[in-house]
Amino acid sequence: MFSDFLFRLRTLLGRKKMEEDLDDELQFHLEKQIGIYVESGANRAEAFRRARLAFGGIDQVKEHCREARGTGLIETLLQDVQYGMRVLRKNATFTLVATVTLAIGIGANTAIFSVIDAVLLHPLPYPNADQLMMVWEDVQLPRYHNDRNTPAPGNFFDWKNQNTVFTDMAAIGYRTFSLTGAGDPVRIEGEAVSPNLFSILQVGLVAGRIFTSEEDRPGADRVVLLGHALWSNRFAADPSIVGKTIHLNDENYTVVGIVPAGFHFPDPDDQLWVPIAFTPQQLGNHGSHYLRVLGRLKPGITLAQAQSQMAAVAARLTRQYPDSNTGVGIQLLSLHDQVVGNVRPALLVLMGAVALVLLMVCGNVTQLLLARASARGKEFAVRLALGATRTRLIRQLLTESILLGLTGGVVGVVIALGGIRLLGLLSPPDLPHIGEIGLNIPVLAFSLAVSVGAGFLFGIVPAFQSSWCPVQESLRESSREHSGTLGAPTRNLLVVAETAIGVIVLVGAGLLWRSFVQLESVPLGFDPQNVLSFRIMLPEKRYPNLARRVSFYQQLSERIESFPAVKSAGAISFLPLTFAGRTSGITIEGEAPPAPDQLPFVDFRSVTPGYFPGMAIPLLEGRGISWGDASNKTLVGVVSQTMARTFWPNEDPVGHRIKLGRPDSSNPWITVVGVVGDVHQFDLISNPRPAIYFPVTQDQRTGDSVRDWVVRTSADPAMVASSVRAAVSAIDGSLPVSRVQTMGDVISVSLARHQFSLFLFGSFALIALILAAVGLYGLISYSVAQRKHEIGIRMALGAQRRDILSLILSQGLRMALLGIATGLVVALAASRLMSTLLYGVTSKDPITFLGVAILLFIVAVVGSYIPSRSALKVDPMEALRYE
Amino acid sequence: MEDKRIELPQGTLDLLILKTLALEPQHGWGISERLQQISKAALQVQQGSLYPALHRLERRGWIKAKWGSSENNRRAKYYQLSRAGRKQLQIEESVWRKLTTAVDRVLETA
Repeated sequence: MFSDFLFRLRTLLGRKKMEEDLDDELQFHLEKQIGIYVESGANRAEAFRRARLAFGGIDQVKEHCREARGTGLIETLLQDVQYGMRVLRKNATFTLVATVTLAIGIGANTAIFSVIDAVLLHPLPYPNADQLMMVWEDVQLPRYHNDRNTPAPGNFFDWKNQNTVFTDMAAIGYRTFSLTGAGDPVRIEGEAVSPNLFSILQVGLVAGRIFTSEEDRPGADRVVLLGHALWSNRFAADPSIVGKTIHLNDENYTVVGIVPAGFHFPDPDDQLWVPIAFTPQQLGNHGSHYLRVLGRLKPGITLAQAQSQMAAVAARLTRQYPDSNTGVGIQLLSLHDQVVGNVRPALLVLMGAVALVLLMVCGNVTQLLLARASARGKEFAVRLALGATRTRLIRQLLTESILLGLTGGVVGVVIALGGIRLLGLLSPPDLPHIGEIGLNIPVLAFSLAVSVGAGFLFGIVPAFQSSWCPVQESLRESSREHSGTLGAPTRNLLVVAETAIGVIVLVGAGLLWRSFVQLESVPLGFDPQNVLSFRIMLPEKRYPNLARRVSFYQQLSERIESFPAVKSAGAISFLPLTFAGRTSGITIEGEAPPAPDQLPFVDFRSVTPGYFPGMAIPLLEGRGISWGDASNKTLVGVVSQTMARTFWPNEDPVGHRIKLGRPDSSNPWITVVGVVGDVHQFDLISNPRPAIYFPVTQDQRTGDSVRDWVVRTSADPAMVASSVRAAVSAIDGSLPVSRVQTMGDVISVSLARHQFSLFLFGSFALIALILAAVGLYGLISYSVAQRKHEIGIRMALGAQRRDILSLILSQGLRMALLGIATGLVVALAASRLMSTLLYGVTSKDPITFLGVAILLFIVAVVGSYIPSRSALKVDPMEALRYE
Repeated sequence: MEDKRIELPQGTLDLLILKTLALEPQHGWGISERLQQISKAALQVQQGSLYPALHRLERRGWIKAKWGSSENNRRAKYYQLSRAGRKQLQIEESVWRKLTTAVDRVLETA
């Protein structure tokens, strides 16, 4: 087999030599034979004739020899490629139109695939990443469902000790630091982690070492690992920083190591890691849920095996701690799904949309090819008449279309390069690994496959139809393009299919657009206009008690409110729509004690008095928060409208009392003094939950620091940013001010992902719409050209312009309507795949479906009408003479 | 005009070429002459059809080709049997003999 291949290769490479040898060999034979005949007395001409006769057709023999040597196939291919290139060059307009259309289709597919390749196929830079699992609490209580609840330290500790499926487990707790003494004071996001996190991830360090288990104890835990970017920006990438001390939250931390560039775990902006150093009390706490837990499965253990063992562990813990662990299960989620789970549906739907667009492109190119095949009918007929086989003709035409596909692919890759850059600019910030998107070998291989596949797809039908060309007829009819009916059903079918695909893509885009509009018009519960927000975290060391903190809050509020452009200023523990917040179980005074798993949960926030006016959250009942709500007075709270309706449905909640925790907890009672409007706390999509606000002046309990400030201004809020910074440093010169942004920016970040999908899908829908119109246009213009004669006769017989127009128009519109109907039916089934991407509309939203149908019908009318008019320009005399 | 020569059954040409070459290396014309002589012109082989067969046998590695000079000093392509070709010849010969005896037997008894 291999030697056979070598033989073929050698003959192929030495093609010219082989031809010469073949000539020589046969020539030698003929000479010998002629010699024999001459010897036997024939004259030379007669001898030559007889020798040729005895030999047979020389060219046939040569062809058979070539076949026998196995060069035939490749030879033909080379010929076809050469011929194909000549044909494409000769029909420059056709080639240009087809190439550009294909390039757009292939380019869009390449660009989206490059995102999928980077984000979905290679998202985790860790060895054996499929063993990495996030371990969540699966909380299923009657009034609280969350299958990704952050685990309590006690649960983490017991899980880690009681399982046999994980090689190791690490806990992670969010922590932020203010770094001083290395340039301007700056706020840095970080994590408190179990020391084994790095060995679980199998990440090596650039310099230094990871934490020891001795350092994972309270009191010994003032050691830190630096992120690569922080190390470069603040410490000049100097490796000698290892072993030195830096100042975090006004305390001394020893740098023990530097993590590699690009390592951010678990959050993209993490730059510092410290030991989590649980106290024994914390390790016994099953009721306070705030961790994230990562584990690495033992080799050979499947997710299902691990899940079932962990379920048994959870059941045991429920029996052991009924008060805290009733309804608390365990949910394993692969780190991969954790990272890309949110973006996967959107990316797959986008990939589907571009694939559909490419199908439409192929449909249009098929139409072009069919039209051209009619024009080339004579060429094919001649070739068939001269003995070419149909297979040979099909092969040649397919070679042509695959060449065309490849040309489109090359230009498409260039378009994709631009597209990828655009994607980088537009992408939402939380898309993982967006920076690594680019054209690499797998992506290029994908483009190559798509180009060849597309070439085959749009070429196969025209190639077959051309090969069935009726030879006799085509040769006889000298001037007419052969067989006007060639491919008529195919063309109609193509237009129907294209319109249908167009409907599907447009329905997708329409649904996303409707969702986006719904999202944008969600009543936020506050007025984001003219609000500046920023964050200040008070370091514990310099602000150890409530009095110090309150004094800072009050001073800063007063200073900022004294600016002429500022209406009010306030602060809160968690700014709305930042995907962060805190909930707690509560007890309502006077209600029967609930069962262990029946405790109602509410959002709770600490605020300064300026927060409600700062956000323009309306006060509905009672009063708001004031600086006078001192810690030695009655503890008060302001509840949201939903909370009021949920717990005191037919009463005025003002005067009622609640407390945090279970009925038997020792927490003090809090009196409701007011009701404010609902606010979307966590994100835009989830409905407002019951919420309660506490005055920061009485906040001894939560340990949540008030950190996010809002300033309502009468002019552009960005203008007061520098005055705000000045006011802060006038009170405390070493406090970093971070996350300075307008409330509008906060909301657009919250909408970014939706905007991104909408933009891309919208672009594809636009392309689809144009392709659908072009498809119809092509069908009608071609049909007018074919029916010129018929139209001429009709006109000669007295048909009116209107009759002619409606004759032609109706053909296009019939196909369009059929396509629209088919598309709507398919879209009805397919749009279900998008349901996770939608908000406020169902995947069967009648307005979207109707709108798309109308839009495509209008486009169909325009696309058919323009070419129909040319039918009116037919001169009956000329058309009749044309035969 | 009646032609008394018989056409070769499919596939026997290869056998005949191999057999001819088993005697000595030979060029295409020589092979065709030898076939004519030995079969006393009873076999009808279109001379040209010899060459595709030769190239096919060469590709299979049963014969090897070498350029040499002929009796009258012209450049000629000589074919010779390879070791694999010799083995192939034995196989084909025995198959042929089995076939003909079997056919003979049928013709004689039936």
